Amino acid sequence: MREVSANREKAEELNVWRARVRWLGGFRGRAYVRDHTFIIDEPADLAGVDTAPNAVEYVLSALGGCLTVGFILNATKNNIRVDNLEVSLEGRIDNILTFLGLSDQGHPGYREITAKLYVSSPADPKTIEEIWRKTVETSPVGNTLARNVNIVPEVSIVE
Amino acid sequence: MTKLFPTTVVGSMPRPAWLLTELKRKNRGEISYEEFSSIADEAVLLAVKYQEDAGIDILTDGEQRRDNFYSFVADKLEGIKLMTVAEVMDYVEDKSRYEQMLRNLDVPAFAIKSPVAVGPIRRKRPIALDELLFLRKHTRHEIKIPLPGPYMLTRASWIDPVSRNAYWDREELAKEYVRLLREEIIQLRDNGASFIQLDEPTLTEIVYGEASRQTFMCAAIFSKIDPKKELNFATELINKTVKGITGVKLGVHVCRGNWSRREESLLKGDYGPLIPYFQEMKVDQLVLEFATQRAGDLSVFRDVSDTRELGLGVVNPRTSEVEREDQIISKVEEAIRYFDPSRIYLNPDCGFGTFAESPVNTATTAYQKLEAMVRAAAKLRTKYGAA
Repeated sequence: MREVSANREKAEELNVWRARVRWLGGFRGRAYVRDHTFIIDEPADLAGVDTAPNAVEYVLSALGGCLTVGFILNATKNNIRVDNLEVSLEGRIDNILTFLGLSDQGHPGYREITAKLYVSSPADPKTIEEIWRKTVETSPVGNTLARNVNIVPEVSIVE
Repeated sequence: MTKLFPTTVVGSMPRPAWLLTELKRKNRGEISYEEFSSIADEAVLLAVKYQEDAGIDILTDGEQRRDNFYSFVADKLEGIKLMTVAEVMDYVEDKSRYEQMLRNLDVPAFAIKSPVAVGPIRRKRPIALDELLFLRKHTRHEIKIPLPGPYMLTRASWIDPVSRNAYWDREELAKEYVRLLREEIIQLRDNGASFIQLDEPTLTEIVYGEASRQTFMCAAIFSKIDPKKELNFATELINKTVKGITGVKLGVHVCRGNWSRREESLLKGDYGPLIPYFQEMKVDQLVLEFATQRAGDLSVFRDVSDTRELGLGVVNPRTSEVEREDQIISKVEEAIRYFDPSRIYLNPDCGFGTFAESPVNTATTAYQKLEAMVRAAAKLRTKYGAA
């Protein structure tokens, strides 16, 4: 981390993230991220075969993962021991029928996400609450969701 | 016991805060079971004192040495490992049910531990004989020893595929528990226990535990079960465990969960579907909750009354208000319609601290509830016969 703070180029590199998703047929896709891959599917209720989480579940998990890392980062910075940590998330889509083209009401994105932290730590509850507040405030995924991110649509038709 | 309406407890009393600190140290491996147990001696003396002062006839040690009523076997048996739900979830297929339960109970996966069979099960220490021997030194009262029942243990600790390392199926594992529990019961009897209670709270889950209401005591079998087959299996295990054992009172305790004070989070439904199986169980006493309205009406015993003793739950361990004597008396009089007074024992619905870290009441309220029960029993004795 010291290297990142001392090296602007390195920090700029870490500002950019990439993923590629390839259609596998049906409602399934495979994501390629650096040297990792994972499947994205839909549950049977949404015409998938339920072999993997769906995209909005990945969004929740991404937020949970981000908050987990962030909490440990902030706790470590404050010299606070964490024995166990879990984040439980629940998101409510504004109106899923809009995604399916069955309604014009509302939008198909999350309206609200609840992120509950369970933590075992000898630190006092006030300190834990402060670290949790700071974690949510500085979370990259949290900020992506809470602010309007500009999505640039591009297309390339391949023969 | 010759006196009418003997009073007893189901098992646990709230643990003092200092004992919980030591329990955590033991669980982290900082102190041995023996070191912890010797510290717990002091807590047992407190639990005994509360019960004696309240006037309870048949005492337990308040389960002060146990982290809960069944997981403690991990300290007593080789081949059992306490695994967190987080660890168990790595193995089971129906992860979404676990997730549903975690949400329902509002707990993290790292906080709930279950004793899982990971190897051949052998007795490392007696399961409860140490508890009995200590109690015998410090009280002249009759002693009840609660033990997790064979079905409860089998159901909780069978996780496919982890348990298959040692046992091909849960029936094989169950045989082992039956053998171990029989040995223990005989030793407890020979060393002076007067009442042994097998805790089988998950019997109600078989009947009333739809997915969202299930608890982690069920381990990994969930909806795959056929309730009738499962209840027959449980009954068979209980009967094999107690077969031919005489000279000690044997009971089975059934309730609808005791992990929360939120009554709506606990199971609901009367004993009706369990009655045919109760009839088959070769035990002397059924220790049943009835103070909570969720347990339904005593009239379920209409056609089968008086075939067993009834350990009647007359105080709710989860509420702050202490039951009035007249409430307790009227509950007992309801039971007298179906049971001879000589067959009725009075007890709380369940323990006051089933799970060490989350007791459902304070020691003070628990004591007051026991006192109320004792006062009501005295009045009932005057009304229904000589003490």
